[in-house]
Amino acid sequence: MEQKYKQKKPTSTKKIIAVIAVFVMIFFSIFLAARSKVEFPFFSKTAMTVLSPFQNFFSWTGSQITFLKRNLAEMRYLYKQNKQLREEVELLRAQNLTASEYASENQRLRALLGYKQVATQFDLVAAGVIGRESVTWSSVILINRGTLDGVANNMAVITEMGLVGHVLEAGANTSKVQLILDPRSSVGTLVQRADSRVAGIVEGDMNNPTHPRMVNIPKDADVQVEDAVVTSGFGGVYPKGIVVGKIKEIHNDEGGLLKYGVIETSVNFEKLEDVAVIVKSREAPPEPLPPILQTPGTETDPEETAERMRKAQEQLQQAQEQVQQQQQEQLQQAQEQFQQLEEDTP
Amino acid sequence: MKLLAMIVVTVLAMYAAQTSLLTYLDYNGVSANLMLLLTVSTAFLRGHYFGVAMGFCTGLLQDLTTGDFFGCATFAYMTAGLIFGKFSERVVKEQFLIPVISAPIAAAIYFFITTGFIFMIGYPIDILNTTDKVLIPLIFYQVIFSLPVHKIVYEFDKKIAEYM
Repeated sequence: MEQKYKQKKPTSTKKIIAVIAVFVMIFFSIFLAARSKVEFPFFSKTAMTVLSPFQNFFSWTGSQITFLKRNLAEMRYLYKQNKQLREEVELLRAQNLTASEYASENQRLRALLGYKQVATQFDLVAAGVIGRESVTWSSVILINRGTLDGVANNMAVITEMGLVGHVLEAGANTSKVQLILDPRSSVGTLVQRADSRVAGIVEGDMNNPTHPRMVNIPKDADVQVEDAVVTSGFGGVYPKGIVVGKIKEIHNDEGGLLKYGVIETSVNFEKLEDVAVIVKSREAPPEPLPPILQTPGTETDPEETAERMRKAQEQLQQAQEQVQQQQQEQLQQAQEQFQQLEEDTP
Repeated sequence: MKLLAMIVVTVLAMYAAQTSLLTYLDYNGVSANLMLLLTVSTAFLRGHYFGVAMGFCTGLLQDLTTGDFFGCATFAYMTAGLIFGKFSERVVKEQFLIPVISAPIAAAIYFFITTGFIFMIGYPIDILNTTDKVLIPLIFYQVIFSLPVHKIVYEFDKKIAEYM
């Protein structure tokens, strides 16, 4: 058996020759194939046909893995993007809130600035409300301006809408402001209506903290609902002409001789955020006279007319002076003649 | 016969995996060469004749299906089978580190033989650039896949030994 096996088994030399032959054949076939002189289309097709089921399977597996990998990558990207977007939304919300706050502040300050430009008789210091005293029976706010900003005690505090109160206590950087709603506050006021001009005192009502009262109104005084109430300037704390509010209701006082009006304040004290302190007030300049309507075709230049009037006034004054001088001379002559007559008479 | 069929199917499956599945893991178009690893492992476990024979089969399969230059892969695999088969007598079969160490050498032999042929055929080739872009990634892949491939070949080798 062993002998038989040995006979079938090629010798080592033959094996080496066979291997070398194969190597040489392959070596030359490479160059021949490169020049397209050796082709094996049948074997090639057969090999590809045999391989195709395996390749299809692995290709499908690979595509599934790629699909999964891509999905996972996409999910990871989406997760990351979602996280970033959430952070961005949070940031934008915060920015939006800040922007809204700035817009609101801008609107308020613009209104205050507008009032400051209109109210030229006042020197105003803008201030922000930074606190509110949390005692039920008092209405005091804290503002962020103090003596370093020129604020002093008893200065009136206003908004573009009207009177807020007065400085109760001025600190270096902050001040306490007593609102007109405070029961301890009293403001000298007038009914603005020209044919009324009834004076009274606006003071806080402890029973109705949001609506102060205008008291000390004589029972027969001409005061009506919806009448505007402004400061009278009496007392020296509040300058004249600042709007306080409107009369909402009128009631008879308990004594029977007087009545009082419930005031709807022009300032919304619940939304009080920016105020202005009147650090200096002067007499309001007179309103410029409106131009006189002239008949069409006979218009004159107001400046020229004024010049002519001024010249005429000067001429008139000169004439008056001349007349006075002549009169004085005549009087002097008469006096001299009289004296001479007295001397001549024995 | 059944064992031979199993070996054939395994070789075909591995080649199909090399040409389809592993291309999804490629780096600059370079992926693992399982046929080279198969040849080297066979050569280590079964000697240079079997190594050359396996190199011939796997190389021919590659040249017939996807080879650019017919015979290049066959010649390179046969050479690798011959060289590593010569060391088979000195290697202990259970020593699994040897195929891993020899994988880069086999990759280099394959690379230089194929590029040498391409150059001899008349195609201009920048050897340094190609080494950087092809050989280094190929070595990396070969090292990774050498151990699993050797395991498979080792199992078949045991079965062949039992059969014989």
